[in-house]
Amino acid sequence: MKRTRVFQMTVLLLVIVSAVTVGYWLFDQHVRGVEKTTALVRLYDQQSAAARTLLAAGVPVEQVRTLLPDLYVGADQVALAPQRRAALLDEQQRRLRQYSWEGGFFLFALCACIGVIFAALRAETRVLNEQEQFLALVSHQFKTPLASLQLSLETMGLRQLPPEHARALMDRMLADLTRMATMVGQILDSSRLSHGRMELKHEPVLLDATVHRVVSQYLERAQTDHISIEAHVAPQLQVLSDPIAVDAVVRNVLENALAAVAPVGGGKVTLTARAVGSEIELAVRDSGIGFRPSDHEQLFRKFSRLNAGAGSRYYGTGLGLFIVQRLMQLSGGRVSASSEGLGRGAEFLLHWPSVPVPP
Amino acid sequence: MSESVYRVLVVEDDPHLAAGVVENLRAEGYEVDGVNDGRRAVDWFDTHSCDLIVLDVMLPGMDGFAVCSTLRSRGTTTPVLFLTARGDAADRIRGLEAGGDDYLAKPFHLQEFLLRVRAILRRWDWYRASTRTQGSEVLKFAGNEVDFRAFRGRSWNGEVQELTEKEAMILKVLAEKPGEIVSREDLLEKVWGYDVFPSTRTVDNFILRLRKRFERDPANPIHFLTVWGVGYRFLSGDES
Repeated sequence: MKRTRVFQMTVLLLVIVSAVTVGYWLFDQHVRGVEKTTALVRLYDQQSAAARTLLAAGVPVEQVRTLLPDLYVGADQVALAPQRRAALLDEQQRRLRQYSWEGGFFLFALCACIGVIFAALRAETRVLNEQEQFLALVSHQFKTPLASLQLSLETMGLRQLPPEHARALMDRMLADLTRMATMVGQILDSSRLSHGRMELKHEPVLLDATVHRVVSQYLERAQTDHISIEAHVAPQLQVLSDPIAVDAVVRNVLENALAAVAPVGGGKVTLTARAVGSEIELAVRDSGIGFRPSDHEQLFRKFSRLNAGAGSRYYGTGLGLFIVQRLMQLSGGRVSASSEGLGRGAEFLLHWPSVPVPP
Repeated sequence: MSESVYRVLVVEDDPHLAAGVVENLRAEGYEVDGVNDGRRAVDWFDTHSCDLIVLDVMLPGMDGFAVCSTLRSRGTTTPVLFLTARGDAADRIRGLEAGGDDYLAKPFHLQEFLLRVRAILRRWDWYRASTRTQGSEVLKFAGNEVDFRAFRGRSWNGEVQELTEKEAMILKVLAEKPGEIVSREDLLEKVWGYDVFPSTRTVDNFILRLRKRFERDPANPIHFLTVWGVGYRFLSGDES
C-alpha cells in the first residue's frame, strides 16, 4: 500500500511537470513568436526604407547590398533576402517539430500516467474489497462455534444438570474453543503468508517423525468418523525445510483429507513417502468426496471451500490448503492435487527438496 | 399451551449446536428429531410430520431457504424458525419470503430461542383451534370462499386461490371480528409474534395481496378496509 502511494505521488508529480512544460510552450509561442515577428517586421521596414533612401541618394546597388545583407536589393525593388527568408522559415519549422515531438511524448506520458493511476486505484479497491470480504467471512466462520459455546453456557446457567451431562457440556465448550483457536491460528498464518512476512528455516527435518506425530494427534477424531489412517514413511527420509512449516503442511493436508472422508461415512487416508530424484515426495491419498477436475484451480485459493459443510462435522476456514501451498512455495517445494471426480477420493502430492548427501 | 407433546425437527449441520438445541428442546418437553442435511430434511417429511422446524440456513445438500420453499411448494405448512449466522435485514426478508415464520441470528440467547419456539407453537395452536370447530374452517363472503385448513380459496370470479399460511392467518384474525377495527400491531402480534419485521408496513403488503385475491376492485376495496393510522377492518359484505 505504501509503495502504491509513492508511485501515485511520482506519477502526479510527472503530470504536474508535463502541465507546466505545456504551459511554458504556450507562453513561449505566444510572447516570443509575436515579439520576434514584430521586431523582424520593424527591422525589415527600417532596412527597406534605408535601402530606398540610399538608392535614391545615388548609392550604388552593390554598396547597398553590402551594407544590408539581409535584403535583396534590385534596381527597382527591395525585399527580404531569400536565404534570410529560408532561415526564418527553418526556425519556425524547427520550433514546430520540437513542439510536436515533445508534445507527443508528454501526451503519451500523460496517458500512461492516467492508465497507471487508474490501475492503481482499481488495485486498491480490489484490496479493500478483499479485506472486507475477509472480515465478513471470518466473522461468519466464528458465529457457529460462538453460538454453540453460548448455548452450552446458557444451558448450564438455566438448568440443573447431572454431573455427567455438565461434563459433556464442558467438553463440548472446550472443543468449540479449540475450533476457534485453530481458526485464529490459520487466519494469522494466512495473513502473514499473504504479506510474505514469514521467514522459514532451511534445515533437515525427519519426515517420518513429523508424520507420525501429526497422525497420532488425529487418530481419535479419525476413529470417531470411522476413518483409518495409514502412514508408510521410511525412517531415514529427510526434507530440507522448516520443522514448523512441515508440521503445518502435513497437519493441514491430513485435516483436509479427514474432512473429505467424513461426509461419506468413513474410509481411508494413506500417507506414503518416497525419494524421487533430489526430492522427497509425500502422497496423501483419501477415499473421500473428491473434487471435479474443473475445481482444481480453486482448491488452493484463499477461502475457497469446495465441500463447504458437505455433511462434514468440521468447519474449515477455507485457508488450510492456501497455507499449505504458500508454505511449500516458501520451502522451495510444491504441492499438487488430483481427483478422478466427485465421490472418487483425492490425492495430494507434496514435494520437498531432499537433504543433499555429503560425498 | 395444549397438553399434547409437540414434535420439533431440528435441521442443523454443526454437531455441537445441533446437540445443544436438541437437548434444550427435549428438556422443555418437546419431542425432537434432528437431521444435518438440507435434502434429508425434505425427505424426512415424506414419512414424518412435526409441529415446528428449526432450520439452519447454511446447510449441506440444500440451503435452508431452498428447504423451506420446497416444503411450502409441496404443501407442508409446518412453521419454520430460521437459525443463521447472517442476520442482516435482506437475509431476514429472504427467509420470510421463503415461507419462514421467524428468524434468529447466531449466536442467540437460549431463553429467547425457547420463547420464540413457544410463541410460534402458540400462534399455530390458536389458528388450528380457531379453524377446528364446525363452520369456522370455511369463510364465505360476497361470492368468495376460503378454506382455512386447506389454505385454499375461490374468489368471486371462480379463480382458485392458493393462500400462504400468513395470508390465511391474517384473514382469520380479521374475519373473527367482522366490522371491528384490528390494529396493525395486533395483527403482527397474532400472526408473527415478535419483531421479525422492521415495520408494520409488512402487514400492509399482505392486505394488498388479500385485496388482489378477493376484491372485485382492489383499488376501491369494500371488504378489506384501511382505517388510517390504526389498522384494518373486515366487512363480509353481508352486513345490513
